[in-house]
Amino acid sequence: MAELIGSILVLLGAIFHFSAGLGMLRMPDAYTRMQAGTKASTLGNTLILLGLGFYHPEWSLKLLIIICFVLMTNPVSSHALARAAHMIRIPMTRRTTVDALRATRQRRRSGK
Amino acid sequence: MRRAFVILVVVLFGLVFTSLVIAHNERHSLRPLAESYVKLIPQELGAPNVITGILLTYRAFDTLGEVAVLFMVAAGVGLVLGASNKRRKSSPRKVVETARLSSEIVQSGAQILAPLIAIFAAYIIMNGHRSAGGGFQGGAVIASGVLLLVLASTRYRVDLEFLSMTESAAGVLFVLTGIAGLIFAGGFLDNRMLPLGQFGAFFSAGAIPILSVLLGVKVGCELSVIIDRFRA
Repeated sequence: MAELIGSILVLLGAIFHFSAGLGMLRMPDAYTRMQAGTKASTLGNTLILLGLGFYHPEWSLKLLIIICFVLMTNPVSSHALARAAHMIRIPMTRRTTVDALRATRQRRRSGK
Repeated sequence: MRRAFVILVVVLFGLVFTSLVIAHNERHSLRPLAESYVKLIPQELGAPNVITGILLTYRAFDTLGEVAVLFMVAAGVGLVLGASNKRRKSSPRKVVETARLSSEIVQSGAQILAPLIAIFAAYIIMNGHRSAGGGFQGGAVIASGVLLLVLASTRYRVDLEFLSMTESAAGVLFVLTGIAGLIFAGGFLDNRMLPLGQFGAFFSAGAIPILSVLLGVKVGCELSVIIDRFRA
């Protein structure tokens, strides 16, 4: 039973990873690609590691630590990448209508 | 035309890899050399991790050479990028002001993550003789922590002098340990100069943990210096 649950979790994680890869190919610009990759792969990693935890209960503490580490690092790193991309003005897709970061920066500049 | 060429290349690669996959049959027994290593290392060196056992005893001289290569890389990078560093030193404040501040998320993320990365690096280095890991890997993790700090804070300065001193000290101690092996045991970098201890324990496998720590410190320092050199 535990093995079945573990397998299903690993399969779900693989599906999320697949969607991350698909997003990389299909999304229109750097930012949307980045968010597809980050979100889907964070959840995919978590699910796969949880599934492994069902297979090997004796590993669960280490797996939990790895999950926490991935949950902390993945968003921070992709945030830094996206911010750097925004700083060097990598263009967005035309369909993007809201750019909160640029708006904040302009407001701050005019406030000075 | 271009598309057809791309498809042709992909199909050719596919053919090559399918033939590899088809021709692959898993070996159920080890090769004679591998088998003798697998038997010999836990017996002779007392290290459960055969790979670290090989890297830090039988092939430790090679490892020393690899570290020397890494040192040459660091020196080369310093030579090439040193000119821009001089400019930086002449007006450090100006650079700090013009450098983009990293965001709050990265800054607080670094505060939480840097200690964790340091602990992880120490874990990898110290458990090199028992499980996957060792000096090189742990040193790379240390350098990634330094990279995170450099990214998070523009005011964070890597102390190049301290790093190069530590690195040289680690290198000298590594060679001295090797010579101690020559005197007290069978040869240069022989790990049996210290008691092998209980198989699989934290303090075991003779001098392998010591060599691993020295290697980790040395590699971490070298890679940190390289990272700092790339800072504009």
